[in-house]
Order: sequence, then structure tokens, then C-alpha cells
Amino acid sequence: MKRYSDIVGDGGSRILEQVAEQRARIADGLAGVRHLVAVGSGKGGVGKSTLTLHLASALRARGLRIAILDADFNGPSQARMAGVQGAVFVPGSHKVALPRTANGIGVFSMGSVIPESEALDFESAAHGESHTWRATREFALLGEILGSFEWGELDLLMFDLPPGAERTVQYADFLGPFDDAQGRPFDVALGGPRVSFLLVTIPSEVARGVVARSVAALSKGPNRLLGYVENMSGYYCRDCNAIKPLFDSSGGADLAIPCLGTVPFDPELARRCDRGISLADLPETPVGRALDHVAQQLLNSLESPLEPPR
Amino acid sequence: MKFLCVPCDSPMKLQTVGPPDGGSLSVVYSCPECGYEMAMLTNPYETQLVQSLGVRIGPAEASAKAGKCPFGAMLPAVEEPVQTGDPMPVRWTAAAEARLANIPSFVRPMAKTGIEKFARERGSAEVDEEILDAAREFFGM
Repeated sequence: MKRYSDIVGDGGSRILEQVAEQRARIADGLAGVRHLVAVGSGKGGVGKSTLTLHLASALRARGLRIAILDADFNGPSQARMAGVQGAVFVPGSHKVALPRTANGIGVFSMGSVIPESEALDFESAAHGESHTWRATREFALLGEILGSFEWGELDLLMFDLPPGAERTVQYADFLGPFDDAQGRPFDVALGGPRVSFLLVTIPSEVARGVVARSVAALSKGPNRLLGYVENMSGYYCRDCNAIKPLFDSSGGADLAIPCLGTVPFDPELARRCDRGISLADLPETPVGRALDHVAQQLLNSLESPLEPPR
Repeated sequence: MKFLCVPCDSPMKLQTVGPPDGGSLSVVYSCPECGYEMAMLTNPYETQLVQSLGVRIGPAEASAKAGKCPFGAMLPAVEEPVQTGDPMPVRWTAAAEARLANIPSFVRPMAKTGIEKFARERGSAEVDEEILDAAREFFGM
């Protein structure tokens, strides 16, 4: 009797064929992207989204072509922070033009699509059983977004990942090396984009412990971990023009990856993010200088030779 | 998933896909050798798993007829914004409409509303490719 592998094709269901077509559309959409950088943590509330936007701004100020994909579909924040909540989606010749911030950063966020008073929802045949299919559906949506927006020529496409160590690994699997439209491996051997991870923690033992788990999980696959950023590393008091302690940073797990920098918390920055207003004067503050340092370290890491995949 | 006619040792071919009924799909396969037919009746979990992949079971023509985007079921996104007042009606040229049809259905209603507002603000009662290109330039895209 024939086995599965003896039968060519799938008898007409076309499921595998359509999945391959989706992957080809994604590869085609990202063909002009030099680096994919996923900003994750594993821990929620450490400032991934804020840091993503500010690093994007610091890189943009250096003349780089940058876009952000807010991959936190259920809790999107980039639309509000980047000031593209009311963005108009303009149909291009084949794809959708990407909304842009005032300083030219392309941003896709579900916050531009769904009002904050509503939640992302999908029609389902399996009522009350969303735990069995929801993640699959969300990754299919991510694929649709990657394949149908005009990402164009970019130096960096930054993914603002949702919290959760398992989610971080799922994104690594989804964004990892795959074949392009011609069936060629779409990875570093071809000079194509390959996802690199930047992890964010705060100086608390609990947060570092969770991030250490993400590092361990990501290290099991062929993932490139650029390093981590310690966010909320003290707070910037504008009255004193000084950095003051926010957490007891005496302990915590060894993350075993390079630290690309520390960034203090700035209440003024948080206020501006909530209102989606410009951060133009940031470079003049200690926080701005810290972000600029991290941006430079990030670029250095991206340009450094890749270690062969394990 | 593949189906094999055991007596003929021959792969069965998909014949028809029935529309979802109570969360179940009816997919009929037949053996090209002996003509034996069988139906696969999916349970709601199986149906949902396939839908979640963003694919449709069956020939490409059937998928095209059903609409390209598998995300038409995203509930909040497809609702048309409520229009207040009586805005000037705006018609779309065939070329502009083709561009609109090319984008994912979950952003299409927002795109349509936004572009029509952009056209009205410029005193235009028609959305053509020129208006779409002007919108791109205006929004810095």
C-alpha cells in the first residue's frame, strides 16, 4: 500500500500549495528589507513598544530607512505612540501603502485598524475553543500583513513583539529562514533578511528571570540574539537633571548575551508617547543619549559577522 | 491530508467541497480507478484549523470566487464607519476600484472611507488613480 510520501500532490485540497504561496508572498514583500529585528522580552510591561519606537526614531535620525510592524495584534500600542491612529490606508498598484510618521518611519499597527474600545476578534466555527486555533489565525494574519503592505527598500524592519516567552519563540519560528518565491532558501547565504532578536528587560530579578527563559528558548533554534537592553534603568529627573534609582539592581539571572545599553525611565517621554507627539528634543537629554548609544550598538551588532547557525 | 483507495492503491481526487454547515465542511473524494466515492465531514475544530491557516480547501477558481482574503471575518475591522450628515457621493473609476479590491479586506472599508474623504476635501466627486497617487504623496507614503 502506498505511503503518504509516495503520493504526489494532495488530491486537490491545495492546502499545502496555498501555504507555500503565502510564504512566497511574504518573501517577495520582504525582498527589499536588509535586516529584520524582533524586539521581544518574554516579560510584559518592560517597555518593548516604547523602546522599539524610540530606537526606530534614533536610527531614522541617522538617515536609515525604518519601518515598524506592531506584532502585538491584541494589545497594539504603536499606532497611538507613533501618531498613526487615524492613518488613511491608500491602495497602491498591487499592495497597500504603509502609513508613516512625521519623521518618515513606516508603521503598521492594528491600532490603526481597530478602535481602542474594541478587541480583535475572528469568526469561528469552533465556538469557545479559541485556545486551539487562535495563535494559528494570528500568524496567518501576520503573513497577510507582511505580504500585502508595501515594505519597499528598508534598512531595518522592526517587529514589536507581544509578551510571552512562548510567543517570542513562535515568532522566531515564523520569521526564521524560509524559501523565497523561487524556492531558494531565503537566509543569510543569499544576503536576504534574517531575523535578529533584541530582548528588553528591566532591573528587577523577576523580569531578568523571565527574559533568561526567553534567551534559553531562543537559543535552542537557529536564532540570532543581538543582545539585550536594560530599560527603566533608573529614572531621569528633569528637575535635578540626574538619573535616580528606580529598582534595586543588585541581582538577577545572567542573561548570557551582550548588554547593548541601559535606558532610564523618563516620565516626560511616557507623557509624549501617550499623546503620540514628537520626541524631537530627546537627543539633548540623558535618555536621548542612552537611546542613541543603544541604536549604535544595535547597528554594530547587525553589521558584525554572523555566527554559523547551530 | 491525502486519501488512498485501498483496493486500487490509488490516490483519491477531490471532487466537491460543500459550504460550511454548522461548522462542518463536506469534502467529496473519488477514486480515479474504480470511481468509489467517499465524503470527509469535518468537525468544527478541523474546519477552524484549516480556516486559521488562511486557506480554502479546493481548486483555485473556487477560492477566487469566494474572495481572496481569508480575513473577511475580522469583525470590528469590516464595519463601515457610521456616516453623519449627507456627504457628497463619490464614485470610483474601474482602475481605482481594482486597486481597492487588491488590498486585504480587513483594511478595505477604512481605505475606502479615508480616500473618499480625501477626494471630497479636494472637491472631487470621483476617485481615480490620480487621486490615489495624490493621497500617497499627501500622506508622505
